[in-house]
Amino acid sequence: MPKSDLIAGIVLLVFGLAMLAVVIPTQTSEGGDATISPALLPQICAVGITGLAVLLVLQAAGRLRRGHPAGVRVPTAEWWAMLAVLLAIGAAIALFVRVSPAVAAALLIAGPMLYMGERRLWLLVGIPAVLLVGSWLLFYRVLGTAIG
Amino acid sequence: MESFLPVLEAAFAPGNLAWILFGVTLGYLVGALPGLGKGTATAVAIPLTFYLSPLAAIAFLVGIAKGSTAGSAVSAILLNTPGEPSSTPTAMAGYPLARAGKAQKALKMGLFASVIGDLFSTIVLILVAQELAEYALGIGPVELTGILAFSMVFIAGLSGRSMIRGLIAGLFGILVSCVGLEVETASPRLTFGLIELYDGLPLIPVAIGMLALSEMMIQMGQRRRLEQEADLLRGSGRREDRVVTLGDWRRSARAILRGCLIGTGVGILPGLGASVGSFLSYGAERRASGRGVDFEETGAIEGVAAAESADNAVVPASFVPLFAIGIPGSVIAAILIGAFTIQGITPGPLLFLENRDLILGVYMSMMAASLFLLLIGYFGQNVFARIVRISPALVMPVVVFLCCLGAYLQGGGVFGIGVMAVFGVIGFFAKKYDFSFVTFLIGFVIGPSFELSLRQTLGLVTEFSELMDHPVALVFGALAVFGVWRLTVLQRRQHEAMVKDRP
Repeated sequence: MPKSDLIAGIVLLVFGLAMLAVVIPTQTSEGGDATISPALLPQICAVGITGLAVLLVLQAAGRLRRGHPAGVRVPTAEWWAMLAVLLAIGAAIALFVRVSPAVAAALLIAGPMLYMGERRLWLLVGIPAVLLVGSWLLFYRVLGTAIG
Repeated sequence: MESFLPVLEAAFAPGNLAWILFGVTLGYLVGALPGLGKGTATAVAIPLTFYLSPLAAIAFLVGIAKGSTAGSAVSAILLNTPGEPSSTPTAMAGYPLARAGKAQKALKMGLFASVIGDLFSTIVLILVAQELAEYALGIGPVELTGILAFSMVFIAGLSGRSMIRGLIAGLFGILVSCVGLEVETASPRLTFGLIELYDGLPLIPVAIGMLALSEMMIQMGQRRRLEQEADLLRGSGRREDRVVTLGDWRRSARAILRGCLIGTGVGILPGLGASVGSFLSYGAERRASGRGVDFEETGAIEGVAAAESADNAVVPASFVPLFAIGIPGSVIAAILIGAFTIQGITPGPLLFLENRDLILGVYMSMMAASLFLLLIGYFGQNVFARIVRISPALVMPVVVFLCCLGAYLQGGGVFGIGVMAVFGVIGFFAKKYDFSFVTFLIGFVIGPSFELSLRQTLGLVTEFSELMDHPVALVFGALAVFGVWRLTVLQRRQHEAMVKDRP
């Protein structure tokens, strides 16, 4: 999968360099009297990721030159599904903060159901209702805790 | 014997047995649903364990892991849709049997082989883990650094198809584990000023995001394929097509025994995973039978037995390195570390000294789970056969909700859901681009121990010559270097062979 390796390698290379040049120096203290700098392990990891990303890029470029097939392509339907899930979670968080946890949870269940093609109203209402009541019973009554 | 009685009492208390039964049933149910595997099942069930006793919590999660491993054979045999990759050989040998009207026979043999594999591996765990832990007690920080480095390399090399991508995933996991207060100076590290990150990234939302949420994103994108694969099961009126006959047992006994041995061996080695076990066992039986492609064309009861016994033997065996050394060898073991931590227990060699009763209770509960597996699978067969046909449009939104619930409870509220969403996206790309999320999770889990032992090592060993006083560390260090070289060469050969075979 040379093309996808090439893209992944470049992204990781940029990530590793950004970690080494910007994030680790600004987000890690010197450590004062510490025998070993707190930045040591993050630096080892970032150096490792950067070095391996270079290898990935070189390997992928070589394979592309030799005419290997391009490799993985994420289907459009999976991109949309990822966005739909993130959108449902984002909207549920907004509703959780501004309206109520029950409304947020109902949207979190019914939203993806609608996205997946479910149109039967009794299921769109019934499943969130059963799950919410079930969760409430389980966590409040059986396990004795509080949510939200 | 007297000190053993309270353990037996706790393990076989009605409350504990009820949680094991619930765990096995829930696991079986989730495993039977196409696209949902044991990682997803165990990760989303973690919130239920917060308020349980340590024994009930671990027994419940182990029940889920065992149930979902066995349950994934149901969708593999009936729909040709493996619940998870390790059930693919079961689908290859079992689906043709289902199409020939022998679904019930295949399901029963799959269940019996699963239970035998699971029980065999549990007994090996009981016999081996404590012995290994006694050796592990003599290990110092220098040796531990060597062992952890070797384990990471081993897992990185074997859990994916590319050593480079495996190592990147492992290093990324360790890097992410560095977020939070640094262990020696308690100064914030990679926290971006967020006070929520001072305790580090919470394991459960990270695990749920990487395992379950990312899987839901992918599966929701493939919903049309999943719906199309829901085929109708054709039953048979003949009794011998519905039951496992003596002849079937004769044909499958050797396959089951071999599957138990392969699965247990694969499970003990960190990083290999259930898929390697089931494919190895299935391949060995296919070769031994001499039937070739006929195995997949007409189906093979011994193929189902080989795959399922190995698949189920992997799970208990993967707890050997977890209990004995504290190294999670599989996703389930990594999630169990989270459950142990929630209960204030650290897995590792001291477990047998400090929490002996708990471990004995867990062993007893694992045996009870094997029995429940048989009962639930046998008597619930028809129910599960119907459940596999529930539309993904109803199942997946429920799983997304459970993911958010788990992340909310364990991740400090809405912040936990945010962490889960971020790692859901990372997991999505990791799965699509073949970066092993197993290696990432194990790196994330062992990161703090690795850092601590590395710091101690750097304090103890100031010159290279001092390493000569630590031969165990040297051996594991050398094995790590050798592993990188050897596994890279093997993967390159595999890749070249694949390219050559391509038309």
